[in-house]
Amino acid sequence: MLEAKSITRRFGRTLALDSVDFFARAGEIHALLGENGAGKTTLMNVFTGAIRPDAGSVTLDRAPLALGSPEAALRAGIAAVHQSPMLFERFSWEKNLALGGFGSDRTAFARLDLDAVTSKAHDLARHLGFELPPPGAIIAERSVAERVRLEVLRALSFDPRVLILDEPTGVLAPNELNAFLDLLRRLRGEGRSVILVTHKLAEARAVADRITVLRNGRFVATTTPVESDESALARLMIGELAPPPEAQLHPVETSATLLEINNLSSRNDGVTILDGISLRLNTGEIAGVAGVDGNGQAELVEILAGARVATTGSFQVSGDSAAIAVIPQDRDLDGLILDMQLWENLMLAAPIRARMTHRGWLDVPRATGLCREVLATFRIRASGPDALASSLSGGNRQRLEVARALTQHPRVIVAHNVTRGLDLAATAEVHRLLLEFATNGGAVLLISSDLDELLAMATRLYVISRGKIRAAEAQDRSPEKLGLLMAGRWSE
Amino acid sequence: MLSTIGKPAAAIALAIVLISLVLLALGASPVGVLIALSQGAFGNWIAFTDSLVKATPLIFTGLSISVAFSAALWNIGADGQLVIGAVAVGAVGPFLDAWPRPLALAIVLLAGALGGALWSGICGYLRARRNTNEVISTIMLNFVAAQILSWTVHGPLMEASRAYPESMPIAPSAEMYMFAPPTRLNLGMILALLLAVAIYFFLFRSAPGFQLRAMGKNRRAANFFRIPIASLTIWTMALSGALAGLGGAVQISAINHRLYERISPGWGFEAIAVALVARLNPLAIVVAAIFFGALDNGSQAMQRAEGVSPVLVQVIQAMVILILLAFDTSAWGNIRDAFARARVAPASTEAADA
Repeated sequence: MLEAKSITRRFGRTLALDSVDFFARAGEIHALLGENGAGKTTLMNVFTGAIRPDAGSVTLDRAPLALGSPEAALRAGIAAVHQSPMLFERFSWEKNLALGGFGSDRTAFARLDLDAVTSKAHDLARHLGFELPPPGAIIAERSVAERVRLEVLRALSFDPRVLILDEPTGVLAPNELNAFLDLLRRLRGEGRSVILVTHKLAEARAVADRITVLRNGRFVATTTPVESDESALARLMIGELAPPPEAQLHPVETSATLLEINNLSSRNDGVTILDGISLRLNTGEIAGVAGVDGNGQAELVEILAGARVATTGSFQVSGDSAAIAVIPQDRDLDGLILDMQLWENLMLAAPIRARMTHRGWLDVPRATGLCREVLATFRIRASGPDALASSLSGGNRQRLEVARALTQHPRVIVAHNVTRGLDLAATAEVHRLLLEFATNGGAVLLISSDLDELLAMATRLYVISRGKIRAAEAQDRSPEKLGLLMAGRWSE
Repeated sequence: MLSTIGKPAAAIALAIVLISLVLLALGASPVGVLIALSQGAFGNWIAFTDSLVKATPLIFTGLSISVAFSAALWNIGADGQLVIGAVAVGAVGPFLDAWPRPLALAIVLLAGALGGALWSGICGYLRARRNTNEVISTIMLNFVAAQILSWTVHGPLMEASRAYPESMPIAPSAEMYMFAPPTRLNLGMILALLLAVAIYFFLFRSAPGFQLRAMGKNRRAANFFRIPIASLTIWTMALSGALAGLGGAVQISAINHRLYERISPGWGFEAIAVALVARLNPLAIVVAAIFFGALDNGSQAMQRAEGVSPVLVQVIQAMVILILLAFDTSAWGNIRDAFARARVAPASTEAADA
């Protein structure tokens, strides 16, 4: 159905796609699997017309597709859900959907019938088992998970023959995930072809009929879940298997408390976002906080970072406030300043800035020296301290953030979705660094929506739901049990 | 580094070519006009120094814009801030007879800086505390400043005979040191140059300057890392206004010696162009300001010699800005990418391993 032949695309000196072939049938779920930088997203962008390839051709049902034109792709029946939701932040969700297929049957300059869009959206959402935000809600105020759902809805509003989803599941809870995978199967049943761009092996095997693996911009293989188990797929993806993280922490019960959060609450415009959060973090511990995005994690992280004031309650860090380092989940918006240089991004952290400042003046040679050291120690691939942060790949940006947190010499690191969007190798590296930090007497608060990560890393687990937090017992340590807790079902 | 100089130079060259075409269409001789223009700007010692005199307020206001824009605070009110700085000098200047000259000059400069800082500080405060859009508040205060100036020269500061809409002259001790009469070279220009260097080091080498730029590049991240956005907004706006106000003070103290109804021909707005052409770099602002000042200065000679309207100079300025923007960032990067692709395309695949 959708067939790509010899697609080549070069960005500057990087060959993002090197004569890649791809074929997806009608009525199948096809996983496009690969590490970060393998070329998955570039290939998807070729399909959606966002990028014009340097060479190659795409056909849909044997009809050639005009390349480099989003409109042509959409008209031919290719719709996409992007990794970072592409919605208009200041618009209501209804207006955002109106810009999709629901509103497209109107003639130019005709009045937009928002009510019709809303009722169509409700029909489709019910059909899909989605919950929609309250009427008139602005996108900027909604959670990441809700944005992804809205974008799926908008893509489906075009009634596409080919639906491409770029890493859509990272923000979904386990119970949402199953519903989502069911949805994909239902779309397949309707004869559409669903292309799932992902770097998650288990997910690809669980839902896909066929799997195409890319590595370093090249086609490696097309296989099926039956033919290839996870380790075989991993070998195809990265060439060799990364060693699993050694989550062998032995927390001492009597060890000193490094972070203590007491009854922390936060209200915004009368809405309770955090409701009596209390937890305690000891030296040598990695405490995990599981939860679906948008249940107050971001606000908790902001409060711990000092960027937001709690309505009531408090937290204490052993030592002083400089002893806590926070890695926010949105590295491009909160964590880094993309058009500043790498050494300047290091200096964003107040403790590092204080060390590199003398009577109000920056010691630039020392700061760039430190940055050069950090780049070498943490194996961050960059041209040097003067490079712009935007020139780094996603994995290297995240490594820079972790490196910066460690370079602050904190006692406590708060990490929020720290490996989201990272490939296996980079994830293992970040995990190793955090484990090492905890083993050496630090403490980590690992806030994540990735249960596999939490189960592998955390010595103790909490679950956060609708702003309330609760410790998970030992018997709750399974994806299914945690999923129920994350959905707020706390009654035994 | 090459691109920061090379691109503006290329833009100016392209502007000259385009402007020649316009002149030909108007039936004037491009060569004659350009010669008259450059003669008027740099043709003799007096013309040259006058270009520098015309550049001085543009350096002050350009630095003002540079500071504010670096923090992503869009101060469109440098003109009003310069005017209020001048009014402050017009108010204290006449009463400094008894003061020794260095002290009187220090008071004059301080008054100008404070006046400008107060004027922009209002907008900074409103932005920080009430989230009032500073573009609107700074634009509006330009009009208020112009009316205040008009009121002072008709009212409280009006000269003794009450015949002309101008203020009392400032005391001789409040007049800026002149270096080489009959030229109008003065200490204020040296001050502008020193300030450009100081602002450069402030922005790129000081901790507060770093915070200011971080806020300008990414307000969210700056907030996340506990950079005090609100107070930084107020102080940045105040500094920006102080620089514009200093420009007004130097203009009154060195050139006008008294207030008139119209002091500024729009320096605060021209400064936006100056600062953008210089990509907000304080040192490049000096060069850009001299270029714009020379164009202003040369335009009169051009009119006399060739009978071409001085409005043409504004056309040239606009063209330089537009062409610079066209040469900027993405467009330029795309052209470079295309060239790079064309060169490496035949050699096929080995780059993928890099």
